[in-house]
Amino acid sequence: MDENNDATETNSEAAVLGGLPLEPDSSMQEYYQLQNELLLLSISLMVVGFVSVWMAYSLTTALNYLIGACSGVVYLKLLARSVEKLGRSASKVSKNQLALFIGVIVVASQLDQLQIVPVFLGFLTYKAALIAYMFKALSTT
Amino acid sequence: MDPLVASASVIAASLAVGLAAIGPGIGQGNASGKAVEGIARQPEAEGKIRGTLLLTLAFMESLTIYGLVISLVLLFANPLA
Repeated sequence: MDENNDATETNSEAAVLGGLPLEPDSSMQEYYQLQNELLLLSISLMVVGFVSVWMAYSLTTALNYLIGACSGVVYLKLLARSVEKLGRSASKVSKNQLALFIGVIVVASQLDQLQIVPVFLGFLTYKAALIAYMFKALSTT
Repeated sequence: MDPLVASASVIAASLAVGLAAIGPGIGQGNASGKAVEGIARQPEAEGKIRGTLLLTLAFMESLTIYGLVISLVLLFANPLA
């Protein structure tokens, strides 16, 4: 324990002496920006998907899609939070976000008003947002 | 439900979750470990490393989710029943 404290002090001193910017908040700004971008992209894709499904199928199917898409956005937020905690207060990535997904699919399979396929495809909206973000990032570099 | 179909579905569901979790589990462990190592080496790049890790984990975890969907459908909305 003492060795760890000594090592931390030595590192921070070296960083100060070397002039390295040791401001975790400023370096995390990029991460928070990424989170916001992904959230906005997911929500915009969710709205586009909801309207498209409503036009192509029915309001019931579109609402099913919306439930899945909302749970996907919450899932992404939970994953981002667990990645943020990694290395600080947690030593591994939490699996709590999977419980949300399991709950949504189980409820969709038990209730007659809900269908599994639109809910699952709605849940995958977050992945479409990730792919869109990756393409955007690749096109800018 | 036919007992044979029921038992086969339960075995298939367990195999789907178990097998689908092996690859992403190893991958996530490796990625998280390397990311933490990278943050320890370069604290000034923490935001960038965590962002890349988030994207990687989201892609990897969706592979687990595919297996999970198959098993949940087999258990709760079995089309073969």
